[in-house]
This record gives sequence, C-alpha cells and structure tokens, in this order.
Amino acid sequence: MYRFAWRNLFSRPIRSGLALIGLSIPVFGVVGLMSLSNGLRGLVGDTVKQVQGVMLLRTNTPSPVFSDIDPKLSDEIRKLPGVKNVASEFWRVAPPVDNTSMVLRSLASGSTEKRLSNFLDSPVVLGMNISEHNRLDSAVYQRALIKPPSIGGRFLEESDRGQNRVVLSKKFSIQYPNLDGSPKRPGEKIKIGTEDFEIVGLYETKSLLLDVVLVMDIVTARRLLKAPLDATSALYVEMNSARENERFSKTVEDRWSEIDSRGMNEIEASFGDIMGQIDVLLLMAVGLAFGVGAIGIVNTMIMSIMERVPEIGVLRTNGWSSRQILSLITLESLYLGTVSGIFGCSLAIIGCWVANFYLKDGIRLIPTPTILIEGLVLSILTGMLAGMYPAWRASRWSPMEAIRYDP
Amino acid sequence: MSMIETRDVTKSYRSGEGVMEILHGVSLSIPAGQCAFIVGPSGSGKSTLLHLIGAMDQPTKGQVVIDGQDLTKMTEPEKDLFRRDKIGIIFQAFNLVGNLTAFENVLVPFLPVGITPELRERAKAMLTKVGLGHRLTHRPIQMSGGEQQRVAIARALVKNPQVVLADEPTGQLDTRTGEDVFRILRELQRELGTTLVVVTHDRRFIQPQDMLLEIEDGLLKK
Ligand SMILES: Nc1ncnc2c1ncn2[C@@H]1O[C@H](COP(=O)(O)OP(=O)(O)OP(=O)(O)O)[C@@H](O)[C@H]1O
Ligand SMILES: [Mg+2]
Repeated sequence: MYRFAWRNLFSRPIRSGLALIGLSIPVFGVVGLMSLSNGLRGLVGDTVKQVQGVMLLRTNTPSPVFSDIDPKLSDEIRKLPGVKNVASEFWRVAPPVDNTSMVLRSLASGSTEKRLSNFLDSPVVLGMNISEHNRLDSAVYQRALIKPPSIGGRFLEESDRGQNRVVLSKKFSIQYPNLDGSPKRPGEKIKIGTEDFEIVGLYETKSLLLDVVLVMDIVTARRLLKAPLDATSALYVEMNSARENERFSKTVEDRWSEIDSRGMNEIEASFGDIMGQIDVLLLMAVGLAFGVGAIGIVNTMIMSIMERVPEIGVLRTNGWSSRQILSLITLESLYLGTVSGIFGCSLAIIGCWVANFYLKDGIRLIPTPTILIEGLVLSILTGMLAGMYPAWRASRWSPMEAIRYDP
Repeated sequence: MSMIETRDVTKSYRSGEGVMEILHGVSLSIPAGQCAFIVGPSGSGKSTLLHLIGAMDQPTKGQVVIDGQDLTKMTEPEKDLFRRDKIGIIFQAFNLVGNLTAFENVLVPFLPVGITPELRERAKAMLTKVGLGHRLTHRPIQMSGGEQQRVAIARALVKNPQVVLADEPTGQLDTRTGEDVFRILRELQRELGTTLVVVTHDRRFIQPQDMLLEIEDGLLKK
C-alpha cells in the first residue's frame, strides 16, 4: 500500500511536482528566515559577551549615539555602593570618513544586500575619557586591540588627550584604504569630517555592531563634533561584582527617572523581544505561504481523486473499506508533504550556504538541525492536513456510486 | 442449498423530485455451484440486481441472503470484509488499477492488510491458469482488453470466493476473445465449484444446465 500510494504520485509527475514546489517554497522560507533570525541573535550574543558592565543612557534612546546625560552624574554614581569604575563616553554618528558619506556609499552600491551591510557599517565616533577607561576590567576596545608583533599599534594613552588620534577597526582599515589601495596602518592618516587623524592602533572585535566605532579621546570627539565641552552620552559602569548589576540598575532608575540603565543581558533581552516580534511577523507571512501551499495540495489531491473515482470504485468493490481509501489518499498527500519538506530544507541549506558566502563576515545564516526538523515537521503536517479533506471525500463514495461515476 | 437468495427485493433511486423504482420485488434463489445468467433489455435493472447481490449497494426493501448471511443486516465494515473474502467481481471494463502491475492487481483486495507468501503463490498460480504467467509485471496499459479481463478473472478467483459476479465481462471484447475469456471463467468456476452469476446480452454462452433469469422492467420473468 505504501508503494502504491507512492506510485500514484508519479502517475501525474508534473501536477505532483507543482504541488511539491508550492509547499517547498514556504518550507524554504521558514527555514531561511529562522536561520536569519538565529544569525542575528548570534550576532547580538557575540557583542554582548564582550561587554560586561552596565551602561547608563538617557531613557528612550535606542543607542548611545542619540543620548545626552548630565555630565555631573558620574560623580554621583561613583558614590553609590558597590561601584568600582565609572567611565564617561561621548557617542555620535561620525561625519564623513575620508570624504565618503554613508549616504553616498549606500547609493553608490548597487544591491540591496550591499546597502544593508553599508547601513550596518556606518561609522560611529566614540570619545572616551582615556584615564577612566584604562582603569576598566572589561574595556571592549582595549582588549580587542591587535597586539604586536601584528600591525596593531597601541591603544589610546593619557598623552593622546585632545589630540587627533584614533584607534580604528581592522575592518575600516580595509574599507577606507590608502590612495594606493593598501589597508590603513598605524602611523598613517585618516580624515574624519574635515580633520586629519593619526591612526595609533587597530582593533578587531569581530562583532558587526562593535567594529564600526572610531575610538578617540573624549575631548577630541567633543571638539570634532562641535559639542559642548562637557557633553556626555553615556556612562559605562563596572560593579565590584557583575552579580550586583541588576540591583544597581534598579537603584539608578529609581533615583534618576531620566536615566535608563542597561545591563548587557537586558539589551540582549530587549533585542530578543524585537526579534521575537519580527519572528511573529515572519511566521505570519510564512503561515500565509503555507496556506497557499496547502491549497495547492488540496487542489492536486482533489483533481487526483476525481479522475480516479472508478479506480476507487474498483478498490471498494474488491473489499477496501472507506477507512483504507482514506488512509491511501492521506498517505499520498503525506508523501507530498514529506518530499516538499526535504526539498525545501535542502533548498534552504543551499540558500544559507550561498548567502553566507556573500555575507563574508558579521551575520551568518545558521540552519540548525532544530530549525530544519521544524520545517520538515511543518511540511509533513501541512501535507497531511491538506490531504484530509480530499481523502475524506473519496472515502464517502459508496462502492456502487464510484463504479457508476462517469468521469 | 441455495447460495444466493433474494426475497422481494426492491430498489429505487431518487431522481429529481420523484422516486424511480428500478426493481419491483425480485425474489430468486441460486444454488451453490450453479452458473446463472441474468439477461434482459438495457436499463431493465440487471446491474442494479448484481450490485445488490455483491454487497455493493443496499436494497430499498427486501432481503439479500448470501451463504446464509443477510446482507441487509450487516454493518459497512462487515460488508467490506464480506466483499473482500467472499465475492469476486468482474466488470465490463476498467477493472484494473492503472498504477499496479497485473500481479499486484490480482492481490489488490489484500494490499491494505499485507500480502502473505501464500497469497503471492496463489496469485502467481492463478495468473498462470488464465494464461498470463509470463506477464506478472505488466501494467494494464501494456495489456489488451482480453488480457485485462483475464487479470480481473484471476483477481475474482484468487481468494476462492463463494460467489463470482460478472457484469457483461465480454461486452467490450471481439467475439473470439470474448469466447476465450468466457471459457476460462467457466473452467475455473467448475474447478473451484464457485457460484457464478453473469449478466450478459450474449446468449451464446448459455448452456442447457445453466440457470436463466430474465429481467424485464425490474421484474423477473417466470
Ligand atoms: N444511481 C442511480 N441513480 C438513478 N438512477 C439509476 C442509478 N443507477 C441506475 N439507475 C437507473 O436504473 C436503471 C437500471 O439500471 P441498470 O444499470 O441496472 O440497468 P442494466 O439492466 O444493467 O442496463 P445495461 O444493460 O444497459 O447495463 C436505469 O434506468 C438507470 O438509469
Ligand atoms: Mg448494466
């Protein structure tokens, strides 16, 4: 009976094939999108692991780039119990680097995918209070510095205060090369806005979100961006023990309503929230596609049973019960669902592989076994459910009705 | 003892608003091992009667008793099993399932429950008896009309049924092929002692010892 059902699918290969494609596309979609969202989560996870402190920002600002806080806050925070280090930071979107504005670069590059990656690549200025930052245990960029004997150079020092000196990501050293096309090296110059900066060091965090930061002294940054002399965007706070982060956040938020304290796990969680919402949207779209795929299968199976009415009559008159007819037709659409699932998953694996090839670093599409199995199960279920109505109809005919039916 | 018995069987169909009665009270009795012919003009209700005997349809009134079992008192699943194990059926055409080989078509009643090696052997033997031992793996479209009917005969008889019903089994065959097919059916019926009921327009096949049932306008002619 299993082989019989299988063979029935092949008696109309084109029709079955179309139904198969109709269902494998949503499978492809769901696996692809889940892999993408998985990749994005991984990206944020990578970033968060490198940042262990708590960041204080103005409430309701999505990123420190848009945040401004009271410069005197740092002194008050320092007095709170359990606080080990407080470092002031000044963040802004960078002016054009080497005379290339982000907008121009986006427009210049053709594909959407490049535009997306250019958007994620737009440079950001971080001005840091050097002495405060050098005291941190979990200072991200210090730790990410490419150390000698590689061509990493050095990190910022007290003597860089007020100077046009910058620590650049390795990624930018390649993206903003010298005139002869060679990557930028420590000791060479890069233009930020209208000013020339000396590159003192290169870092690499390998996180897509962190590797876009131009690290410089806070005084330099304020001057470069024409901000007030004490402008402050955020405070980076380390506690004696990271376990106190949460309690500390609560204390701060209770006392200063305009301040939002974000532990990195909190950022990860809120990002998870956003991703969750995006996932819901994606799943709705994919659900729609599954609906269409299911209708394709219902259609195929109805056509298939209608042209086989006399044959079903033969089976019934030879002693097949209506339940056995039901099983046969359900089995056929179950096979369709399974094959569609396998086909769609294979497409998705190939698709992710190709996409990863083009998205050289940063986001990776990861079709985990769980995602693949989910896609497959979904497809099998869809196939089976879609086959139920045609199967039920075929099983309702009495033997005699089916035999006398004139196609 | 009679193998097939109908008692005052009527059958009507709803057609449009009215009800159309096709059989107006048919009572007959066919002894075991007998070969009976149902003849009559087109539309007289021959096929309808055959379907009632074969547990494929339900009479509107009356009783159908096969081998002592009252079909009108059976549940649907019981009738399914009854058809599978006790009734062999051969139609005029389109008897076979296109996606199955000749061999598989013979075993089709047992596909859902699984084919035992014993059934396999019986099917092979039966196909050999109808002269198709060399064509086990052929599909229906690869076979002539006469060969397809012989596969249908093999299928009807492979389960060694109590009753074989044939509805114009030679209706679509030329005279020679029809004779061949009928001869085979007849031989196997004798060999197995099956009760055979044939609906036919062709009175050539009827022999003196056979039972003749003439139907006209839904009534058995005495
Ligand atoms: N399902 C049905 N609904 C309505 N009328 C039906 C149905 N089945 C059969 N009939 C009618 O019953 C009558 C008898 O049909 P049946 O097939 O038994 O005749 P028959 O004697 O076998 O004729 P033929 O020699 O042409 O095969 C016909 O008039 C047919 O139209
Ligand atoms: Mg007829």
